[in-house]
Amino acid sequence: MKNIDSKGHVTGKSIYLDDIPTIQGTLFGVIFDSPVAHGHIESIDYSKALALPGIQTILTSKEIPGENQIGGIFPDEELFAEEDVHFQGQPIALILAESEHIAFQARKLIEIKITEKEAIVDPREARKKNQLIFPPRTFSLGNTDSAWSQCAHIFEGQADTNGQEHLYIEMQGAYASPLENGNIRVSSSTQGPTAVQRTIAKVLGMGMHKIEVDVVRLGGGFGGKEDQATPWAVMAALGAHVLKKPVKVVLHRMDDMRMTGKRHPYSSDYKIGLHEDLKILAYEVIFHQNAGAAADLSPAVMERTLFHSTNSYFVPNVKATAYSCKTNLPPNTAFRGFGGPQGMFVIEAALVHAANELGISAHELQKKNLLQDGDEFPYGQIAADVGLTQIWSDMEAKFDIKGAEKRVSDFNSKNSDKKKGFSLQPIAFGISFTKTPMNQARALVHIYSDGSVGVSTGAVEMGQGVNTKMLQIAADMFSIDPSKVRLESTNTTRVANTSPTAASATADLNGKALQNACYALLTRLKKSAADHFGSAASDIQFKDEQVINSGKATDMTWNQLIDQAFLERVCLTENGHYATPIINFDKEKEKGHPFAYHVYGLALTEVTVDCIRGTYEFDSVKIVHDFGESMNLPVDIGQIEGGLVQGIGWMTMEELDYDKKGKLRSNSLSTYKIPDIYSVPKEVLIEALETEGAEQAILKSKAVGEPPLMYGLGAYFAIQNAVRAFNPDAQQTFDAPFTHEKVLMGLYQI
Amino acid sequence: MKIVFKINGKQVSMEVKPSLLLIDLIRDVLKLKGTKPGCLEGECGACSVIVDGEAINSCMYLAINVNGKEVSTIEGLTGTENPLHKVQDKMLEHGAVQCGFCTSGIVMTTKAYSDKCLEEGITPTREEVKKSLEGNLCRCTGYAKIIDAAEAVYKK
Ligand code: FES
Ligand code: FES
Repeated sequence: MKNIDSKGHVTGKSIYLDDIPTIQGTLFGVIFDSPVAHGHIESIDYSKALALPGIQTILTSKEIPGENQIGGIFPDEELFAEEDVHFQGQPIALILAESEHIAFQARKLIEIKITEKEAIVDPREARKKNQLIFPPRTFSLGNTDSAWSQCAHIFEGQADTNGQEHLYIEMQGAYASPLENGNIRVSSSTQGPTAVQRTIAKVLGMGMHKIEVDVVRLGGGFGGKEDQATPWAVMAALGAHVLKKPVKVVLHRMDDMRMTGKRHPYSSDYKIGLHEDLKILAYEVIFHQNAGAAADLSPAVMERTLFHSTNSYFVPNVKATAYSCKTNLPPNTAFRGFGGPQGMFVIEAALVHAANELGISAHELQKKNLLQDGDEFPYGQIAADVGLTQIWSDMEAKFDIKGAEKRVSDFNSKNSDKKKGFSLQPIAFGISFTKTPMNQARALVHIYSDGSVGVSTGAVEMGQGVNTKMLQIAADMFSIDPSKVRLESTNTTRVANTSPTAASATADLNGKALQNACYALLTRLKKSAADHFGSAASDIQFKDEQVINSGKATDMTWNQLIDQAFLERVCLTENGHYATPIINFDKEKEKGHPFAYHVYGLALTEVTVDCIRGTYEFDSVKIVHDFGESMNLPVDIGQIEGGLVQGIGWMTMEELDYDKKGKLRSNSLSTYKIPDIYSVPKEVLIEALETEGAEQAILKSKAVGEPPLMYGLGAYFAIQNAVRAFNPDAQQTFDAPFTHEKVLMGLYQI
Repeated sequence: MKIVFKINGKQVSMEVKPSLLLIDLIRDVLKLKGTKPGCLEGECGACSVIVDGEAINSCMYLAINVNGKEVSTIEGLTGTENPLHKVQDKMLEHGAVQCGFCTSGIVMTTKAYSDKCLEEGITPTREEVKKSLEGNLCRCTGYAKIIDAAEAVYKK
């Protein structure tokens, strides 16, 4: 089934936050934010701004009736800065005016005096100064201390990855309207409606029941609207609460880029030890996560870095330590992969480093150490149904790894100005929220008396096709035409206490809740039909809107059955609940079984580097991916293609640039480049691993949102492979993204 | 300032401020919300509309400049009863849409280019098709399906 939204999208009829018709009297909000990354506010003079015709008011922390606090995991982030500012772009006040234009003009008239303080932008410096968001954590397995003496080869180095701007094309925004009795309804472009609801309630000092949050769809999220969609929604709600008028706050691009956090930059140290036979014996890594000025989701992101520190490999002795370092950048946040990719990059760098020193191919080392069934992850979970060996041999059979290697070396021996490089990038990505209580979901299903169906879940549609999958489930289970099913907006009054749409697990969790609701309804409907035919409920089935009794078609249609059931006063509404079984994690011991299952895959990347200009082009990326039994292959393939390119962007061209004082220099689309139509691989081929899928995946169709991003890591190592073909003396530096400038430096470094 | 122009086939005349941007005229004054603001600095193409046959970024175009011209937006591509335009059809068929926020810009850009190709009787190569979309960013799809869809527009 095609994405059910696509017709609305191609005709321009789909409604996004900023398209919601504005109610008369709506006020528009523009945020006044800190011009410096760290400082003490001495004074602010709003008088000139307030005097501007069309200005309604300017809201600051003083107008907040509840708590001036929006921190999700730790209460360490003010909605509006009161005394000190901790990052450039930190909101200080909300200007409300009759038009956005007037509000922007007013912003220019606000006079602020700040005593600047020293800003920290480097996570290692923060660690040295003991500026940590929370205490470091260590995952360990075996004993690295005693393992080093058994290693034939030991390599140490540093591997860094920069951050990444989400660059959802639809910017952040929210629209709040006051209702009767002080209630508020908020439309928000958020991945986490419940987080928005909870935070508004806290800031306004009222119960969550007074706040309704509704989400129709997002024009892209990628993690950037998980926690960070909240502040604007809270501001809009505060405005609606104080002024009793509808308030809309939609960020402009530069405000969005300046005020919001991004993928965490990491700076890490590794030490890897290999046995004579090239098996990895020991691996130690220290991660410095650049968390920014407040916790946001950093603790959870850091945890996932630790979970994925050994990627797809079995290492018997591991010690992985992570520091969440507090700096004066905007609070960094979720981004597709959620810290996993940063962890995986480091072990890949360590392996490439080792391979280069030993004069062997990195893929030899990778293959030798692939995770097998029964291997223990550093966090205690035992690997099961590991597809990696099969995936690797599928890759050899279908895409000819040796052939690629030969093609590359033949090309390189014939060409001096251009060099090709290639890499293999295996992935193993754990599916579930690592915080176990978040692995639950609910779905509300109404069968209307005419046989049509309304489905509400906690899933937020942001282009990933989750609503399409939900609709497929309901239509399949009832065996009715998909046109009879409507996917409702995600709304906190219909589905409460939702987990954010994140962790790739949304279709699994909400889909299983939806299945549970449908099962319950089917049970009641079967009984009603069985009573009618004088048979047993177990004899009844539904097929193409027809009731089947003991294997034979009857003359009763779905619609007639529903009509009958309604008259019999059968409940035609059900709320399904699902909580992932088995999973657990003990944070004291740092051991457990946190993931329902893993997604595996392998990418073969080939690149051609222009050794005069330092530019490069990706010839191809060939992927063998573990979809399980995909319930919607076109949608899933779209996730792979998109995730791959986003990963390549992160590894190659997306250069986030903060100056020493914490000011964002790459603050617009003209200074921050994301992949355009020319930067994508000339060829992307995707093969599905033949597998039975995982029980805990929805219809055995494995989660697909985040894993493919990590295929993009291969881009970095393919480029490096080409650079070393030109300049074998190029130093072993691992510092993503591999911009053209860095390629040139590598090519001509002595 | 008074301007007179055609939008999606309809003649309109109105008073506008000289500083008004075309995107604001389309979205806020005419309430045609299919045209999307992605960056408001001419970089993403989400706001693409067609003015006298050329795809332009409506965020970089002053509304007064449409005086005497013909503008079409995504809403003008199909009437309520009309089937989809071929470009829309191909986008659908190839699954070239995810979040959809870039989509109307991509559809309009491709529409303008395909009209031009049709007029000149040329079938563009895949590289030319890519070139026609170089000003449109998509953060979701990785472009593969978008290129396939746009290329399919020219196949018989
Ligand atoms: S909004 Fe006009 S080009 Fe981006
Ligand atoms: S489909 Fe989301 S930006 Fe293109």
